[in-house]
Amino acid sequence: MMAPFFKYGLFGDDVSLVVAFITGIGFGFFLERGGFNSAKKLAAQFYFTDLTVFKVMFTAIITAMVGLYYLSVIGFLDLSLVYLTPTFLLPQVVGGLLLGFGFVIGGYCPGTSCVAVSTGRIDAMVYLGGTMFGILVFGEVFPLVSNFYVSTPMGQITLPQITGLPYGLLVFLVVLMALGGFVGAEWVERKMASKKAGAAL
Amino acid sequence: MKDFYANLSLNKKLGLFAFVLGFLALFAGSPYHGSEATVNAKELALIVEKEVDHVSVQTLADWIIQGKSDFRLIDLRNEKDFAEYHVPSAENVPLSGLDQSNLQHNEKIILYSDGGIHSAQAWMLLAAKGFKGVYILRGGLEEWKDQILFPHIPENLTPAQVVEFAKTKEVSKFFGGAPQSGGTTDAATPKLAMPKLEAPAGAQSKAAPTKKKKEGC
Repeated sequence: MMAPFFKYGLFGDDVSLVVAFITGIGFGFFLERGGFNSAKKLAAQFYFTDLTVFKVMFTAIITAMVGLYYLSVIGFLDLSLVYLTPTFLLPQVVGGLLLGFGFVIGGYCPGTSCVAVSTGRIDAMVYLGGTMFGILVFGEVFPLVSNFYVSTPMGQITLPQITGLPYGLLVFLVVLMALGGFVGAEWVERKMASKKAGAAL
Repeated sequence: MKDFYANLSLNKKLGLFAFVLGFLALFAGSPYHGSEATVNAKELALIVEKEVDHVSVQTLADWIIQGKSDFRLIDLRNEKDFAEYHVPSAENVPLSGLDQSNLQHNEKIILYSDGGIHSAQAWMLLAAKGFKGVYILRGGLEEWKDQILFPHIPENLTPAQVVEFAKTKEVSKFFGGAPQSGGTTDAATPKLAMPKLEAPAGAQSKAAPTKKKKEGC
């Protein structure tokens, strides 16, 4: 049996929605367990007092990367069939900044806001309302921005393609980057905590 | 050594584990398994027999009208025929150019040609190269003309059929075609003019090479 199961026709469109639902519930559950249903915790990221978001996200990235890499190497997964979001450099940079502003102001990103709504937080419900409104506005103005939306297309690119480095080397480098990031993040957290303690005295 | 490991916190153990896996990746090679073609004859035969690799012209028309963009429509005919007429949103990749085309393994690809033979051959080529999401437009452009652009609408319809054919008419008009009423299917009918390429109102008429896919997060 080879993965991805959907592309190999193991299940169809209908079942894929059920699978997506189960995956989504699992995703939300672990976000909640990570404490990501609290806007305070998420916003603390941007004040460098609590870098949990950074650590969790980077952990997810290297877990997925190492997992996908080895599953492909042993022949369980056909990596060329895995969907990659195409890169549109400029619009995605602008979109990322926009999302970042919303993240700092509202204290949630779209996924975590859903998690927080399901745990009954009122601020998250307001946030989700804003998200829906934003989607509506985007849909309405889309004809005006559609040219920009598809500008600077780079296709489905990967780091090995851009850099020309061997795949395994990049896996190693990204793992090193993550481990360095974790050490750095804990250092920053300690630094900020002692600064806070100093200020309180 | 054992003490050293036992004294590590869970986070550090996991970090160490990640480091080891990352280090081993240096020697494990590429995850892509080359470009040699392998064919699982039985699997292919099953797919062909069950016809799960087909898309009907009606389904395709619905998708285009709905503005779906999670697939790439590939016209396998030559450039001249393509320039004369093609299904809206199609891209031209002649059969001989299939090898150098920028088709990705992870895309949903729908092939069509005049009839069905070239699509079937191209389908086999792509299947052998490990493509999974390749579909053939059933009946090709011929069927597209018969069923979508110039559908024959019989006279003396039952009320239920009237409703059914009303949709057919709308679809035909959307793509700039003309529904044919009556049973005159004989050759005496003048040659039907193919619609101009910008015909579909509102739909994407030009093949945008960089369509956004509605997949991923």
